[in-house]
Order: sequence, then C-alpha cells, then structure tokens
Amino acid sequence: MMQTLTQTRGPRRRPQLARLLLIVLALAFLGIFLVLPLLAVFVQALAKGVGAYFAAVSDPMAWSAIKLTILVAAVAVPLNLVFGVAAAWAIGKFEFRGKSALITLIDLPFAVSPVIAGLIFVLVFGIHGWFGGCLRMHHIRIVFAVPGIVLATLFVTFPFIARELIPVMQAQGKDNEETALSLGANGWQTFWHVTLPNIRWGLLYGVLLCNARAMGEFGAVSVVSGHIRGMTNTMPLHVEILYNEYNYTAAFAVASLLALLALLTLAGKSVLEWRRPELRRAARKPRDRTRRERT
Amino acid sequence: MSIALRGIGKQFGEFAAVGDIDLDVPTGALLALLGPSGCGKTTLLRIIAGLEIPDVGQVLFDGRDATLWPIRDRKVGFVFQHYALFRHMSVLENVAFGLKIKPRRERPGTAAIREKAHSLLELVQLGWAGERYPAQLSGGQRQRVALARALAVDPHVLLLDEPFGALDSQVRHELRRWLRRLHDELHFTSIFVTHDQQEAIEVADTIVVLNRGRIVQSGIPGEVYDLPTSAFVHRFLGQVNELPVRLHEGRAHAGPLDISAGAAAASTATTPGATTPAANSVVLIRPHEIEVRPDAVGWPATVLAVRVIGPIVRLELSAEGRPVNEPLEAEISRERYDAERFTIGQRVGLRFRRWQIYPADAVRPAPGGAAV
Repeated sequence: MMQTLTQTRGPRRRPQLARLLLIVLALAFLGIFLVLPLLAVFVQALAKGVGAYFAAVSDPMAWSAIKLTILVAAVAVPLNLVFGVAAAWAIGKFEFRGKSALITLIDLPFAVSPVIAGLIFVLVFGIHGWFGGCLRMHHIRIVFAVPGIVLATLFVTFPFIARELIPVMQAQGKDNEETALSLGANGWQTFWHVTLPNIRWGLLYGVLLCNARAMGEFGAVSVVSGHIRGMTNTMPLHVEILYNEYNYTAAFAVASLLALLALLTLAGKSVLEWRRPELRRAARKPRDRTRRERT
Repeated sequence: MSIALRGIGKQFGEFAAVGDIDLDVPTGALLALLGPSGCGKTTLLRIIAGLEIPDVGQVLFDGRDATLWPIRDRKVGFVFQHYALFRHMSVLENVAFGLKIKPRRERPGTAAIREKAHSLLELVQLGWAGERYPAQLSGGQRQRVALARALAVDPHVLLLDEPFGALDSQVRHELRRWLRRLHDELHFTSIFVTHDQQEAIEVADTIVVLNRGRIVQSGIPGEVYDLPTSAFVHRFLGQVNELPVRLHEGRAHAGPLDISAGAAAASTATTPGATTPAANSVVLIRPHEIEVRPDAVGWPATVLAVRVIGPIVRLELSAEGRPVNEPLEAEISRERYDAERFTIGQRVGLRFRRWQIYPADAVRPAPGGAAV
C-alpha cells in the first residue's frame, strides 16, 4: 500500500512544487497587502496603551464623528437598498426601451471621481450654485451641512446594491416569479416569498459593501462637509484631521474602529451562513440555471 | 374548462412569434403543441397562461373572454421545462405554496395545508421527500414536485412547457406514461408543448403542429402521422426519404419507379385535370414504406449499412443513379431481416409501398398509390 502510494507520488513531485510555490505566493500577497496593514492599524492605535486608546475614542469630537457616520450610513444604505432592488428588478426581469442607458447611468458614480461627485453638489446646492439663492431664502443649508454629506454619500454608494443584484436576477430569469403568479400569488407575495429569498445573498453582500463604502467615503464627503469639527466631520475626515495634527494614536484609534466595523460585518455574514445549514448548501451549490428558451 | 383561441397574433419587436391562431381545446382534452424550436409553440402556451398578452385576438375560457385576465385569476397550473422550484423551500413547502398564500378567508388551516401537500406528494410518488430540498432531488423527481405544486391549487387547466425536455430518455418515457395516467384520473384540460414528435404521438389525444408561428395541421396523432397535409408535417413527424420527382412523357418518376398513381393531386391547381405534378415536386417515403427485395426487382440498389435496433432493422441503401452520400433509409422488421439476412454490399431491389408527392409549398398532398 505504502509503496504504491510513493510510486504514484513520484512523477507528481514537480506539480506539487509549483502548487507549494503558488500557495506561498498567494499567502505572502495576502499577508503584505491585507493582514499587515490591518495589524498595523491596531498596533498603532494601541501603541500608547489601552488608556490612550479609549481616551481618543471617547473624545467628544471623535464621538460626534462616529454618530454622524452612523447617521449618514443609516440614511444612505436603506435608500440605496430600495433603489438597488427596484433597479435590479426592472433590469433583471423586464425588457424595456432605454435599459442599457439605465445600466450605464447606474455605473456613473463608479466612473466619476468622488471629488467631482462632491463638487457637483457644491455647484448645485452651494451658496453660489443653481439653487443657492432659493435655499438661502428658506434657510435650508445643504452644502457644508449634514444633508450635503448624505447626498454625496448616496451618490457615491448608488451602484453597489444594484450592481450586485443585476447579474443574480438576470441569471435566475422569471420562471420562479411566473410560477408564483400562476399559483395565485400577488405581486407583493411573489416578491417577498420568492424573489427576495432568491437574491438574499447578493443583497446581503451588496448591503455590506454599500455600508462599508458609506462609512468609509472620503473624497466626495470631504468636498461638501466643510470640516466643521463636532458638526460635519465624519470618521474618515476626523482621522485625516488627527493625522495632519500628528496625533497618530488618536488617528489610528478612530481608524481601528472603522477597521473593526469591517471585520464585524464579515463575521456577521459568516455567522448567518453557519446558522442556516440549508442556506449554506444553497450558497455552495451552483444555481440550477433557469434558462429561458422561447420556442 | 374549455379553451378557445380566436385569431391570436403576437410580435416580439420585428419578430412575428405567432399569427392567425385559431384553436379549440375541449374540456378534458390532452393536447400537444408540436413544432421545431422557434415555431411559436411556447409563446402560444404563455398566451393561454396569461404570461404574455397577445397583440390581436381573443383567448376564451369556457366561452368567456379571458384575454386580459391576470394570470393569477385564470386557474391554470404552469409547469416549466426547468421545473422552476423554489430552491429555498423544502419540497413540502413548495407544494404548499399555492395554498399558503391564499387570502385568509379562503386559506385552509395549517394542518389541512400540510395534509393536502402531503397527499399530492404521495400522488406523485414522492411522499418520502417532503423534508428534502429541490437540490437534493433528481431531474425527474423535481419535475414531479413541480407538477404536484401546480395541482395543489386545483387548476382547471394544466399547461406544461417542454415538461420532459431536460430529462434523460428512460425517465422521460416513464413520466410520459405517468402524465397520461394522471390526466385520465383527474380529468383536467391539459396542453403541453414539445418538439419531440414521438412524445406528442405517445401522450396526446390531439396534436397541433406549428411552423413559423402558424398552425399547419391538427388532428388525432395517428391521422396526422399517416396523412400529413404538407411536406413540412411529413418531414417533422418522422424519418423520411426525400426524392425529386422527374417528369417524363406525362408520367412522374422517382428514380426508375413510376409514381404517377399519386401524382394527380399534386398537380398545380391552375391546370385542372392535368396529371403531371408541378415542377420542383418532391416525393416523400417513410423508411418502413420501402420494400427491400433480395431478388433485385425494382430500383437496383446496394446495401451500405445494416443496423439492428431491437425489433427493427435499419438499412442504408445506395440506389442506382443517386449520389452515394445521399443513401436511402429503409426499415424492415427483425423477422424479415432474420429470414433474408441482408449483408453489406449485397445487390437488392427497391419498391415503394406508399408515398406522397408534394409540389413546392404544397398544402394538400397526393395520397400514395398501391405498390408499383
């Protein structure tokens, strides 16, 4: 038995060497570009001890930045969730004029630099912008205030959920929905019981990405925020300010919160998959493609 | 429930999917829509289901205009080729879906729903699989779950879109017989779409042959097979040998054989009484209508290949004067083969028992004559 094993292994030695080399390369790459920076954030944050870390995090200015970031994400993510599902539903399940134009439009925020995205809102809603006079008359502040930050974040995170869902919905076709309708379901029941469960993984992933971007967005928010401490500073902006003030410990402490948030969302996704075995199976199995052949 | 289609037409952009469709499906019928892919048969089925709205024409359910009824009010069960099971639900939940989503007033109790779903699973011989998920079942089992799910809401009509198209031949055969039995037991009206002529002939009471969006022929299966009214139907419903018709001194010939006996009806309508078929006519002969004679009487030919397929034997024959790469195909019974023992290279004679001559674009056939 052993002999046959070693014999069969002999000629495979070279491919095994290649395999080992590839694994080492991949791990080294992962380590240098993903794990090391992440570790560095936490190491720097805790460099002056736990006391300094908590002092930096519980600083009123930091606290207000955290609250603002959560507020912005709490507004932007649900809005983009509704929009993303609606857009993907329309694009994935129906044929209509201007469909490709809509897809291109959804991609626009990906193509445009975030700084430009911020400038657009300053141009439109700023004091000297198109609606500036009108807004000032009604004492509404958008740019250099919270609404501007929310708008900029909405714009930048616009494509995440829709982009995630469009290919999923297109691949699944309409068979499931048509079956549900023929069984007597109404539109809402069809969506709730059939469409939504079918796209839940794409949706969850899209929400995670959208949330991460909403909380981490720097460029566009930086343009419209005005950097008023305690008022219009989000976490990424706050990190920058602290860093520019050579307050490394505090900067990295706040940065570590952002990193922690990312780790927590990923962990949350794993737990969800682990707790629902039949979902795990469905996620692992290749989808049985619902091919539509019109004859 | 009886279904009637009146002048149905549907375009997809520039493409005319179906046109001028008139069709009557009596209550309790099992009807097959048969045709090559792209002929519009699925579109027609989807129009009946309410999944497509026709551009022109009417769909009548029991004589009432149902053209614009939403699908959920039509009481149709629809079964897809690729099953379309809800993969996040167990098999039992799939079957129970149609009952669970009923409005509260009409909905049976939870226990009653479970019981009904379970009895339907028993009906499709999957009582043991209720807790499984679709991904854990084979193709044939999944299609039976899809059928049970469609039956759960007591449909008046069952519509099946290539229901056995994705299954292997053994399972397909079994499911066909099973569908036929189920239909006879439950007495609903069924329409199924297929591109497989054997399936249509085996299962259906009535077959409707479509080509390029039009109905080209309909009738009971044996009749349509034996008396096709066009070269298209003749070709589509089984194997054929196709030969050009040669005209010589007022007689029609295929090779050296005189086939004038059947030629009159294929003559052009503009010259009444003419016995010569129109130019470009073709004669179609089914493989089992070719008589292969070891005594070399008739059209001389050489045996190119012999293939024994269970009870029948298929011979490939190179007839004199025909290109070698276009052999004729004949089918003889196993008994006859055992008696005659044709071998490759043997010289034989061919005669036709039945044939049909079609002018180009013919609608009406020339019934084949007796043996030459």
